[in-house]
Amino acid sequence: MATQNRRDFLKTATFLSASALSIPTTHAKASEPEALNENRMGVLVDTTVCIGCRNCEAACKEAHNLPMETSFNINNRDIFKLKRRPDETSLTVVNEYPNPKNKLLPTDVKVQCMHCDHPACVSACIVGAFTKHKNGAVTWDGSKCIGCRYCMVACPFQIPAFEYNKAIQPRIMKCDFCFERQSENKLPACVEICPTEALTFGKRKDLLEIARDRIKRRPERYINYIYGEHEVGGTSWLYLAGQKFSNLDFPVLGTEPAPGVTESIQHGIFAYFIPPIALYALLGGVMWINRRKNSEEEK
Amino acid sequence: MRALVYSILIVLISLLVSSAQIKKDHSGQNITCETCHVCRVPTKDDPCLRACPRLLMIKQFPSPETGPDVVVMDDLTDRYMPGVFPHKLHAQMSEMTGGCIACHHYNTLGPILNCKECHSIKRKREDITKPDLKGAYHQQCLNCHRQWSHKTECVSCHEKKNGNTGLSVAQLISRFKNKSHPEVNKPDVIVYDTNYDKGKLVTFYHKEHSTLFGLKCIDCHNNENCIRCHDLQKKNKEQISGFDLPVKVQVSKEERHLKCFGCHANNKCSFCHSNEKMKPFDHKLRTGWALNRFHKKLSCIKCHGNKKSFTKLNSNCNNCHSGWTPETFNHKITGLVLDDNHSDIDCEECHLNRDFGNKPVCDNCHDDKNWPENKPGRMVE
Repeated sequence: MATQNRRDFLKTATFLSASALSIPTTHAKASEPEALNENRMGVLVDTTVCIGCRNCEAACKEAHNLPMETSFNINNRDIFKLKRRPDETSLTVVNEYPNPKNKLLPTDVKVQCMHCDHPACVSACIVGAFTKHKNGAVTWDGSKCIGCRYCMVACPFQIPAFEYNKAIQPRIMKCDFCFERQSENKLPACVEICPTEALTFGKRKDLLEIARDRIKRRPERYINYIYGEHEVGGTSWLYLAGQKFSNLDFPVLGTEPAPGVTESIQHGIFAYFIPPIALYALLGGVMWINRRKNSEEEK
Repeated sequence: MRALVYSILIVLISLLVSSAQIKKDHSGQNITCETCHVCRVPTKDDPCLRACPRLLMIKQFPSPETGPDVVVMDDLTDRYMPGVFPHKLHAQMSEMTGGCIACHHYNTLGPILNCKECHSIKRKREDITKPDLKGAYHQQCLNCHRQWSHKTECVSCHEKKNGNTGLSVAQLISRFKNKSHPEVNKPDVIVYDTNYDKGKLVTFYHKEHSTLFGLKCIDCHNNENCIRCHDLQKKNKEQISGFDLPVKVQVSKEERHLKCFGCHANNKCSFCHSNEKMKPFDHKLRTGWALNRFHKKLSCIKCHGNKKSFTKLNSNCNNCHSGWTPETFNHKITGLVLDDNHSDIDCEECHLNRDFGNKPVCDNCHDDKNWPENKPGRMVE
């Protein structure tokens, strides 16, 4: 009845197991990140200097050719009653929070993509539409995107937005660190327009020095924390504040890179190819038992 | 050979130094060059100044009146008209809000530096340790102005270059030229409403402190917020009046006491705290020695010295007025020349218990005479 005898089966099984074990097991943990450029750029956002004028919002829309609705008016401070998030028409927004030190000087916080050093969106994207560039920027390529929106789920800051209302070729929209402007040797649009230079553009390593220096010089003004220095493995955009970051709606995140978490789970399951081998062993066992039954019946 | 090279180098360096046009008042300061300069030979083109803050810098500023009345800021006029900054008015206001140093934060003792000497007019630049000129201006101005005007619109401060509808630069300059800050309204008395159980009210006689006790405004008001007086949403009257009603204390207990403890550290709580509004300071009630009309005019420090807490003085006249004995005292300086009958009697016959502050008594000798209807002599100016 059976054309394959026991010896043949064992031969095949041994071959399969051997070939399975010979597959490199380096992917057992999260993939090693590519070496980050030491001179990658960043922006230091000093929330104690930001005045909430929202010129950055307007400059961003202009630089990215985004629609400016008639209701869009940067001088309308009533909008601060809401807490907004960046969306497909506004890649950056400013929110306002009460300042316990002086109620007449509220704390204004600009929100945009943090341009992580180890971006979860890049890792989650199954078609490689996201790129972490040498200059620190994390950008999205529309020609590769299939619209799965894994990036939106993966992002620890919930930044990528999707053009739901567009039937044809909807795009993932997020701050691109003015990648094009930077390649033309221009500053990001928001940095250029900011009247108080609450946004300082420079090399990330220099910005960290500057941030530490400001905290040291004005301990009464700043809390001793640079948000983004270590969050999810470090971000290109760094923040200084005069009050707790958790009061300003900054998520409390660990220092492990965000892709590490998801990738470790995914890759952990397949560590050392144990599940396939176990499955093969189980199937082989079932087959062997069945075969023995059959041969016993034959006898 | 080596010596020759060194001597040439020394000559070259000294030439460079002499060409650097160091101003007398600047190089003559009692500080070393290294306090400000990184390199050994700073030049005008490359002063190689240390990055701010130059914390060890000696700072001394002239009075607001000697500075410019108006400063026109026209380095960044891309979209807006030049800024016309009433410098003197702000300098005068700054006296209670931190002084010149609030803006001229890292100045040398030499000439007062312009903002642009440290702050680059370009945003894209090498040294990003300090803000560019635009950032520096706005950080400096808006810190107060957005509290004052409750606005952050560009046009609430700037006139647009195209379609300027407001005053021209020349008009603005003439508007602020020779203009000084008016004298600040001072309350006579402020009653503070505190949380202290044993005495809720603290009556603060502001005028006494500023006139009698010889305190200057900045002795207490050294770090005020401009918004305390200047708020576009409030009318001036609202802010100045209302001192008669108890003012709720806003700051912490420690902070509030700090200002008073400079002088009142050894006083009991009840010295200031009471459940009723306190009467003004009365020298007789507190010390048992009434002030006469001459002594009333004096500030406390005239007699008690410029100490933080005033100590009891000997009440003998010649403790202060050397040579004033009953024999040599000329009564004329009080405005009354004693007649012959009165010039020979003891002071204490009329001034009971040497109480020169109260009216003299006549009934020791006279039944029908009384001060001031009857005078023991002739009044003079």
